[in-house]
Amino acid sequence: MSQETRDIILRLGRKFLWLILILVGLNILYRICWYGRDLKENCSLIQLSRKPVHEHADIIYLAESSNHSYDVHDTDTSHISQMLGRHFPNHRISSLTKDACHAGIYYDVLRNIPKKNDIQTVIVTVNLRSFSSEWIYSDLEVPLQKEQVFMKKAPALFKRMLIAFKAYNHWTENEREEIVRDGIKRQKLDFPYYFPYKNAAAWDKAIGSQDHLYNGQQVSMDTIVLTCHYIKSFAYQMSEDNPRVKDFDKIVKLCKRRGWRLVLHILPDNIDQIQALAGPDLVFLMKQNANYIVKRYGPQGVTVVNNQNIVRDRSFRDRDFPTEHYNQVGRQAIADAIAEQLEELDKAPSGKNNHRNN
Amino acid sequence: MLFNSIEFLIFFPIVTILFYLLPHKHRWILLLGASCFFYMWFIPKYIFILLVTIAIDYTAGILIERWQSNARQQKLCLIASIISTCLVLFVFKYLNFCSANLVALAQHFGWQHPAKALSIILPIGLSFHTFQSLSYVIEVYKGNQKAEHHFGYYSLYVMFYPQLVTGPIERPQNLLRQLHEEKALNYDNIANGLRLILFGLFLKMVVADNLGSYVDRVYAAPETFSSLDILLSMVFYAVQIYCDFFGYSSIALGCALAMGFTLIDNFRSPYMAESIQEFWRRWHISLSTWFRDYLYIPLGGNRVSIPRWVLNTLIVFTVCGIWHGANWTFVVWGFAHGLLLVLERPLRNVHLFDRVQSPTGRTFIRALNIVKTFIIVTLLWSIFRAPSFAQLSDLFTALFHNGLMPHTLHINLATGIALASFLALDILIRNSRFDQWCGQQKTPLRWTLYAFMIFAIIVLSSVEQYPFIYFQF
Repeated sequence: MSQETRDIILRLGRKFLWLILILVGLNILYRICWYGRDLKENCSLIQLSRKPVHEHADIIYLAESSNHSYDVHDTDTSHISQMLGRHFPNHRISSLTKDACHAGIYYDVLRNIPKKNDIQTVIVTVNLRSFSSEWIYSDLEVPLQKEQVFMKKAPALFKRMLIAFKAYNHWTENEREEIVRDGIKRQKLDFPYYFPYKNAAAWDKAIGSQDHLYNGQQVSMDTIVLTCHYIKSFAYQMSEDNPRVKDFDKIVKLCKRRGWRLVLHILPDNIDQIQALAGPDLVFLMKQNANYIVKRYGPQGVTVVNNQNIVRDRSFRDRDFPTEHYNQVGRQAIADAIAEQLEELDKAPSGKNNHRNN
Repeated sequence: MLFNSIEFLIFFPIVTILFYLLPHKHRWILLLGASCFFYMWFIPKYIFILLVTIAIDYTAGILIERWQSNARQQKLCLIASIISTCLVLFVFKYLNFCSANLVALAQHFGWQHPAKALSIILPIGLSFHTFQSLSYVIEVYKGNQKAEHHFGYYSLYVMFYPQLVTGPIERPQNLLRQLHEEKALNYDNIANGLRLILFGLFLKMVVADNLGSYVDRVYAAPETFSSLDILLSMVFYAVQIYCDFFGYSSIALGCALAMGFTLIDNFRSPYMAESIQEFWRRWHISLSTWFRDYLYIPLGGNRVSIPRWVLNTLIVFTVCGIWHGANWTFVVWGFAHGLLLVLERPLRNVHLFDRVQSPTGRTFIRALNIVKTFIIVTLLWSIFRAPSFAQLSDLFTALFHNGLMPHTLHINLATGIALASFLALDILIRNSRFDQWCGQQKTPLRWTLYAFMIFAIIVLSSVEQYPFIYFQF
C-alpha cells in the first residue's frame, strides 16, 4: 500500500470518527425533541405494551379485531375480554387489541411490556387465517411492520433511520399481489387420501373457473369468490417453517422466561359455511392445523384452548369474506370456554397444564 | 434496489471498497456483477430483457464497424438495431396503450376489436437504457466511437448501476472510455461523491417525499380542496418532481464519482430559466441533448425553413412526451412544451432586455421572466401529473370553483424546512454543483450542513414510501 493511499485511508477514518460523534449527538437531540412525537404518531403498539402496567392487570388478553367486533343487532357489545372479565371479578384483565394483529406483533408487544408488572396469565388468540399467505403478505402488514421497527431494542435515531430508509417490507401493490400468488402456490397440500389439487393455488383456480361447488350445486359468482377466499385462507398445512409458528415459538419462550402462564386460544372459524361451500377437505385441513397447535405447544407447558368449532354459522357477522367477527352469542361462547379452562387451571395442581378441544 | 433503501446503504460501501481493493483488470467483473444484483433486486427475470437489448446493440456495433466499406450494409444494420431495440421498448411500454386506443377507436366506429390488455409490468428504467444503447450504435455508425469488442465492458456500459435505472443517459464517448481507465483511490472523488449522495438523499427524502404527501392528497380528490390548496399543490409538484429526479441524479453522480467515474450533470437550476428554451437546457440535460443530437439535428435542426423548424420542434417534443409514458397526457405535455418553444421564437426578437439600462431594471426583468417560465412549467406539470384528462379537468374545475372554500392544506414543520432548504440550496448552487460549492466552504459550516442534512434525512423524511417518479419511465 502506497503512502498516499495510507494517508487517504487515515483521512477518511478521521472523518468517519467525526461522523460517529455527530450521530451520537444527533441521537440525543432526537430522543429529547422528536422521538416521543414519532412514537405517538407512528407506533400505537408501544402504548399498548404499557397498558397492562398502567392498569395493574394480572391477566392480559391479546387479540385482533375478533375481540371488539360486534353485530349491529347485538344488545351487548362487550368485548370478549370484557365478557371473560365477568367470570373473574377478582382479577384485573387488560386487553391489548389491534386490528390485523398476529403472533409476530403479539411477540413484540409482550417483549416491550415493562419488567415491573403484575401479569400472571397471558391469553393469546390463535387465528388460523393469520398463517396463510393472504394474511402474511396482506396490505395491512406494511403499517404493522413499520410499527415493529419502532419496537426494536436499538438507539432511537437508528430506529428512525430504519424507518426513513424503509427497512421493512414495503411492497408496491403489484409486488404484493405477486408475492401472495407465489405464497398460495407454496401452500402445498398433502392429504392421506387422493385429492386432485397439489396446492392452494390449483384448488383456488379450479373453484374460481367454474360455476358450481364440490357438490355440483350451481351458485352465484359471489359465493364462488367467497369459497376461493376460504381456500386461500385455510388450505395450507402448518409446519415449523411457517413464520407465524416461529412467532408463537418465540412467544412461548418469552412467557417462560418472564414467568407468565400462557394460554393460546384457537379462534372459531365458520366451519358450517366452510363445510357447505368448500366441502369436508378444507375442514379436514383446518382441524389438522388446529391439532398441530395443540400438539406442538401442549407438551411445552402451554394451555391450548381449541375453540375452532364452538361458534355456529348464525353467530358470524360477515357473510362475504372470511373473518373472525362474532355476534354477542359467539363472543360469549368464546369467553365462557376460555373462562372454563382458566378455572380448571386454577383448580389443577400447580404446573399442570391442559389443553381442551371444544 | 432503491437508492433510498437500507439495502443500498449496505450495498454501496461494499461495492466501492471492493472496487478499490481489486486490480483494474477484474473491476469490470465486480461492477457488472454488482449492477446485475442491483437491477435484479426489483424483478429478477427482467434482466433477460436487458440482456436482449445488450446483445442486439453489441452485435450491431461490431457489424457496423466491420462493414465500414459498405455504407448500405452499415445503414441496414443500424436500422435493424434501432428497430429491434425500440421494439422491446414498444412491447413493454406502448403495446397496451396502442391496443387500448385501437379498441376505443374500433368501438367508436362500431367495429369488433378483440385486443386484450397484456399483464406486463414495465421493467424499471427500460426507456433509459434503451436510449443509452441506441446512442452507442448511432455513435459507432457515425464513426465517433469505436465498437466495443469486450462483451463485459459493453454490458457494463449499459448496466453501470449508478445510472442504470433513471440515467443520466450516458454517451459511449464519456462512459465507455472511463470504464477502461484505471481509477486510483482519490480523496476528493470520495468526498465529493459522498457529498452528492448526501445532497441527493436530502432532496429526495426530505423535500420531494414530504411534498409528495400533499400533492397525492390533492390530486386524489381535488374537489375537496380550495383553489389556494390546489395552486399550492401544483407548485409543490413542480418542486417535488425536480427534487425527486435531481436527487436521484445526484446520488447516481455521487456513487459513480466515489469510484472515480464522472457522469453527465443532469440539472442546472431549471427553475431559474428565463424561457422554455432555457428550461430545456437546464432540465434533464442528458435526455434533451439526446433528442437534440439524435432526432432534432437529423431532422434538419434549425437550419431549415421556419415551417419545417416548427414541425421539427413539435415532433421532437411530442416524441419526448411519449418517451415519458404511454398516456395521452404525456403526449399533450410534450406537444405543449414544443408549441410554447415555437411561440417563444418571435418574442425572442423583442429585445426588451437590451432597452433597459439600469441593473435594477435588468434584474427585475430577469426575475419576471423566471417567474413567468416557472408558472408555465408548473401549469404544464399538472398535465404530466394527472393520470387522465378527466382528472385533469376535475383539478382545473376545482381550481376555478373552490375559491371560497377554506384553506385546509396545512404545512407542517418538516415541509416548511424542506421548502426553505430547497430554495436556499437551489439559489446557492445555481452556478455550481453541490459537491463543488460545499468543498469551498469553511470546515465548521460544512460539517454543520452535513449534520443538518443527516438529521433531516433521518428524522424529517416521510414515513411513507414514495418511489422515484422517473422509475415509471
